[in-house]
Amino acid sequence: MKKTIISLVVALFIVGGAMAQENELSFERKQAIDSLALEKVRDLSKYIKIAGSKTTPWSEANRVIDRAEELFMSDAEIGVSSLSSNQVQYYKVRKYFERLMRLNYDQVEIDWYNIEYVSDLQRQPDGTYVGVITIFQTFRGYDKEGGLVYKDTTKKDITVYVKRKETQIGGRTIGFWDVLLGDMRVKETTNK
Amino acid sequence: MKNKITTIMMVLLAALITIGGTTSCKSKKRLAREAAEAEYKAKVADAIKDLNAILNDETVWTLEEKENRVKTIKDWNLQNAEVDDLLFQVEKKLARERAMAERLAEQENQTGAQAMGNTLETKFRNIAVASSTDQANRMINETLGLFESNNVPVLIIISQAGGFNDYDRPTTIAKYLNYLKDQKASKNKVYDIKYNGNGKISELELIKK
Amino acid sequence: MDERALYAMTKQMGQFMRRFNYEEDQFGGRINPKDPNYRSTAKRQQSIPILFDQQSVGKNSDLLRFFIEDVTKDDSSFMTFLGGRWYSEVSTTFKYKGRLIPVQLILTVEKEGLGSKWVLTNIYCSEFNKLFPKGEIAEKEKYFLHPMSHELDFMNIYKVFQNQEVIEYYASKTYEPDYLTIFFYEVKRGNLVFQQVDAVKFHVLQIKDWYFEVSWFNRSGNNVGWLMSNLIYLSEKEKKDLIKFYQP
Repeated sequence: MKKTIISLVVALFIVGGAMAQENELSFERKQAIDSLALEKVRDLSKYIKIAGSKTTPWSEANRVIDRAEELFMSDAEIGVSSLSSNQVQYYKVRKYFERLMRLNYDQVEIDWYNIEYVSDLQRQPDGTYVGVITIFQTFRGYDKEGGLVYKDTTKKDITVYVKRKETQIGGRTIGFWDVLLGDMRVKETTNK
Repeated sequence: MKNKITTIMMVLLAALITIGGTTSCKSKKRLAREAAEAEYKAKVADAIKDLNAILNDETVWTLEEKENRVKTIKDWNLQNAEVDDLLFQVEKKLARERAMAERLAEQENQTGAQAMGNTLETKFRNIAVASSTDQANRMINETLGLFESNNVPVLIIISQAGGFNDYDRPTTIAKYLNYLKDQKASKNKVYDIKYNGNGKISELELIKK
Repeated sequence: MDERALYAMTKQMGQFMRRFNYEEDQFGGRINPKDPNYRSTAKRQQSIPILFDQQSVGKNSDLLRFFIEDVTKDDSSFMTFLGGRWYSEVSTTFKYKGRLIPVQLILTVEKEGLGSKWVLTNIYCSEFNKLFPKGEIAEKEKYFLHPMSHELDFMNIYKVFQNQEVIEYYASKTYEPDYLTIFFYEVKRGNLVFQQVDAVKFHVLQIKDWYFEVSWFNRSGNNVGWLMSNLIYLSEKEKKDLIKFYQP
């Protein structure tokens, strides 16, 4: 009986050790995952720019929205608020992009600051890593005469889910990091 | 009398035959020995000639033909000091040549792979910087021609930290080429290319620059 | 926009922690734990002051100096995500019986399974607090069931229910109303309906002998983002009572 307990304790210790090991990603691997996640966010910002531009043909913009949707989890939402109201408007990814395409300006400029902030990755109970990447965007809307009629700077906090997965390709097992974007919070900032 | 004569004849005949037989047998053996000797000498001469020619690079044979010739000479087992000496030298020389040839072949292969890698990287870059969507689409179609199908898997290594490869989610070549078009940037290098029997690319591995 | 302001901005609560511990450089790049600068005391002495709301705490207050000295001592205090004793206060609006009312939700990070999650630990809602006013002791002393009530088959117990407002005076002295349960009850009954989040701030009790709040400052200048707004020296003993509010 005593032996059983001891071996059980040892077994638990080993399992715990293995789990701890899986928890601990090396600094270098973490950095690689960070930049992979950051790349997905940069991809998204390119898609926003293409879809928002008034010179992008409608069909092309739609194709780009498809690509953007593929970056996100299917249930992801975008929550938008302005300085004047705490009220958060919720949009599905496609709706958010369609709204961007339909904005009533003759010309639109969307620019991204070179400042990107990547949080630590924390694990959620099912083991999936969750992080948040913060980026800043300026939006300018112009009228027919080229006059600036609207400008805002927004902080975008984007959820990033990172999951370790495996797949078989050409008879070998490929371990890969599946990065999907989740909810995105869009908040106007006064710092402009 | 007739019988006697017959008997004598018989004896004589037999003797004749015996003598004749003895005489003819002896000469045959000699002849054979002479022939063998001649053949041996010819072989030795041949071997010495060929081995020297090989040694002095005076043949038009391919390396494989030279190796075959050496093998034949060795099989003759001539047990001739000069031949053995030459064989030793020639074998050393051919081993060097074989090693060199293999290195060259490998280099050629590598250059081939590298050339294809460079070609692909150039194509990727051109798609990324295409002046119009139409142009980019044309280049995509052209590039897809190098691949077995549009669904050829594309693996992207994001890190090799810790001694093993960490990948991004696998994609397909068609998706990847369109991605280059949308993102207007080509940030990955070719790491490995696999071909099918028809020389079309069947798997592509990229690595983050 | 001035990019420097965006660099200076403490953009995430996680960045607040990393700056507090000096686990990232001035550009937000992670520092390798093997790097001598990682959690460096000298660097922390420089990085912690920028984490204060200079309008409320001031740039050079004694309190601030004292705090920095304290957390950069040899047995330095570092803030960790899974270290516990830090709470999020989420100010929300609910519709309660047709009216809009503010409700403060208190959440904390709890370990579960392979990771962690935010969980509700308490709520503050004046509507519910009104139900349990802190009565005068003299007043409270008027309400009790005398010790021989049992011999009368508790014939006097109807008095407990006569005056609903003070019903809790009849409870044990260890009784504490459980606001989270009332909140769940009202939500389940459909009386409380969530409307929106109005603001988020953090209460940090993780650092030995200190309490501080971290709030979001959206204004121009470089002293912006998640900043320490309320700093109090609080012994660990005193903290215990405060923590009871966040996590009863």
